Amino acid sequence: MLEAVGLTKRYSSVPAVQDLNFCLRPGQVLGCLGPNGSGKSTTVKMLTGLLDPTRGAVLFNGRNTRDDLPAYRKILGYVPEEALLYPYLTGWEYLELVGSLRGMEVREIEKRIGALLELFSLHGHRHAAIGSYSKGMRQRILLIAALMDNPEILVFDEPLSGLDVTSALIFKNLVQALGRQGKLVFYCSHVLEVVEKVCSDVLILRKGTVIAQDSVERIPQMVGESLEDSFLRLVDDVDTVRVAQDIVAVMNAA
Amino acid sequence: MRNWITHEMERWWAEWRRRPLARLVRLFTARIFRGSGDSDADGLDLGVGLVLTLLALPGGFVAVLLFPKYGTMLQWMRGVVNADVVATALPDEYFFIVLSMVVTGAVAVWRWDSIFPDRWDYLNLVPLPISRWAIPFANFVAVMFLAGLIAVDVNAASSVLFPLAVGSTQTEFVFFARFAGVHALSVVLASVFAFFAVFAVLGFFMAVLPRGVFARISPYLRTGIVMGLVTMLSTSFAVPVMLRQLSGADRLGLGWLPPIWFLGLGMSLLGKADTSLAAVGRLALPSVGVVAVSALCVYGVGYQRHFVRIPELTDVAPGGDGVRMQWLRRLNGLVMRNGQQRGCAVFVWKTLFRGEPHRLLLAGVGGIGLVLASQALLGSFSGGGLAGGLSVHLSAEFLSVPLILVFFLIAGLRLAFEVPVNLPANWIFRLLLDSEKHAGEGMERKLILMSVLPGTVLAVLPIYGVLGGWMAGILHTAVVGVWSILLTDSVLIGFRKMPFTCTFPLFRQHSIVTLLGCAAGFFLFAVVTPECESWALREPLRMIGLIPVAAVAWYVPHQIRRNTIDAERRLIFEEVASGGFEVLGIAE
Repeated sequence: MLEAVGLTKRYSSVPAVQDLNFCLRPGQVLGCLGPNGSGKSTTVKMLTGLLDPTRGAVLFNGRNTRDDLPAYRKILGYVPEEALLYPYLTGWEYLELVGSLRGMEVREIEKRIGALLELFSLHGHRHAAIGSYSKGMRQRILLIAALMDNPEILVFDEPLSGLDVTSALIFKNLVQALGRQGKLVFYCSHVLEVVEKVCSDVLILRKGTVIAQDSVERIPQMVGESLEDSFLRLVDDVDTVRVAQDIVAVMNAA
Repeated sequence: MRNWITHEMERWWAEWRRRPLARLVRLFTARIFRGSGDSDADGLDLGVGLVLTLLALPGGFVAVLLFPKYGTMLQWMRGVVNADVVATALPDEYFFIVLSMVVTGAVAVWRWDSIFPDRWDYLNLVPLPISRWAIPFANFVAVMFLAGLIAVDVNAASSVLFPLAVGSTQTEFVFFARFAGVHALSVVLASVFAFFAVFAVLGFFMAVLPRGVFARISPYLRTGIVMGLVTMLSTSFAVPVMLRQLSGADRLGLGWLPPIWFLGLGMSLLGKADTSLAAVGRLALPSVGVVAVSALCVYGVGYQRHFVRIPELTDVAPGGDGVRMQWLRRLNGLVMRNGQQRGCAVFVWKTLFRGEPHRLLLAGVGGIGLVLASQALLGSFSGGGLAGGLSVHLSAEFLSVPLILVFFLIAGLRLAFEVPVNLPANWIFRLLLDSEKHAGEGMERKLILMSVLPGTVLAVLPIYGVLGGWMAGILHTAVVGVWSILLTDSVLIGFRKMPFTCTFPLFRQHSIVTLLGCAAGFFLFAVVTPECESWALREPLRMIGLIPVAAVAWYVPHQIRRNTIDAERRLIFEEVASGGFEVLGIAE
């Protein structure tokens, strides 16, 4: 079980995340929603150990993950928000690097990379430099890198960014399958429909604090509308239709 | 009236700046300095002002150092009275011409990737309603502006200070003005020539080769150009001497060197060139025209082939079969301790082979090493035999050749490790490497030794064995090998990074000390050691005397490493200046 206990992060006294508490159980797919600047990325970075919390802790099975970060990271798969990869390495070389840094056996690395590249339709491009890859291909490399060591915990930060329709559909099904397998999945996204479809629970952040946390089915029931409307009501209370009309009005005025 | 003119000019300038073409020129000028959206965003972005200052520094610095040489007092003390100052200034003039060419050429090599509009520009600019000629025209204007700006900037300080130094003994202002004008013309033309020559060479290959082939050979081509420039700079002290020693017919060989053309032009304008120098001086102006026109032609072809066809080239090439460098993988498997070390080592090798700044840096440092080594080699043969019946092959200079090469290889690798590559991508190392107990620790040492020791054994042993006797060959190989290990240990003291994944080192108070340490290290490594060795090889038992020296050289870094506290050993990804005090955060 992965727990965030009183997780707080301040950047030069400006709070990015405040007193965040949630629990992620095996088989659970927890979606994290929030507008820009709500603290999603900071939360993800603290969960993955890339950022030290100012206060609070991330516990895995009751133990602070910072006590043995390498052991925690061994069971963690992470897809960051941006596909930041070394452009002069080939897809194969990058995955080999990740495999060796994760301490996987050479044969296992080659077997897994080969099979996953095939399934993600990248096998034909495995020896091309990542610099020549499209955004979707880079994203698929990141997904393979996160999955190749069969981690227990998976943290996805906008994983569908740039993926084509087929790859996105495969991925959505994959997340659900991983949940059914008993993996712990933390899924950050802006796309409400995807969260609604693949997540079992949802966490809504606003200005660094949790404003709602429950199952995907119950949050709309609580507010009495769809997840999209609930999100808008909880987070910003913006009349989106009116804003759209205002934009058109400005365009016509010009 | 004056106000009206100023006002009108300001209005015209403001209007012109708003025009699409002017905006495009500004855009391309900025991207040439800062790199495009496709480029490595974390590269060395020093800002335009600092770059221009750094480029202007070498010329100004050297010119200031020359003041004593031309000072009246010193000339008088040397017994030089009524000397021809222009003739005295010839070697320095040649050096300034070479320096301006090297700096400008290096800038052209460094910014080559940002000179041409790329995919990023295509996506942003082509959909806009602008003329199809506006993009190449604005880009070429920006390139011309850049060439002019660098040519002026690189030579600005020396164009004032050097004539001031040379004219310090002269009473007539006309001499100063004439010398300054001719010097400025020579060095600026040399700069423009160098810029367009590099542009034309790289552009030619870009225009004639298929895109994939050019992408593959471009780094090697640029490495070769950098090595050529470094060689030209390193030999700039010898060429004027040769120029003086050789007669007219023998000078023809030197006439192939472009800096000589500009020296000839300058000396002709000052009325101090002899027939052969004046003849090569006549090549200067046409050569600038030829390279500029060539650059324009290859630019046009390159633009058509690479920019206009960008939409056709978006498909990803399938790449090779990935079997290259298998030997390196096997070698890593043998030498490296664990999987993480092997993974890190493969990453380092690939970055060294494929990273543009790393290759250029290694080429520059290696080029200096090659020049010094070849000078030592030539010196050993021109010095004749040694006393005591020892062959010329065991002279200190001949013995120093591999030591010089090894010193610059190790120093180059150590320097290259500090140059970051795609910093945002280092998240994978931050995520998977244990900063407390870096599993890849020691990998850098093995990696440097892997690049040095095999070559040492394979080259030094047979060459020195055959030329100086097998006993001397074995002993010299052992010395080079042991000294390489000791030097590697020394240069890695305090290095606690995964190579290429940390921000640039900050300028520290002890940077000057580090530079002096490097100079002292070179002196001990490549000057004192071969002297001692040459003396010891006359009686091989004397070589035992080197053992205590090696023991001390091993003990000092070993002790420093042992006494380093854990906090100082932590793997870092950011160079942070240590503050004078630390906030304890008790209130948190």
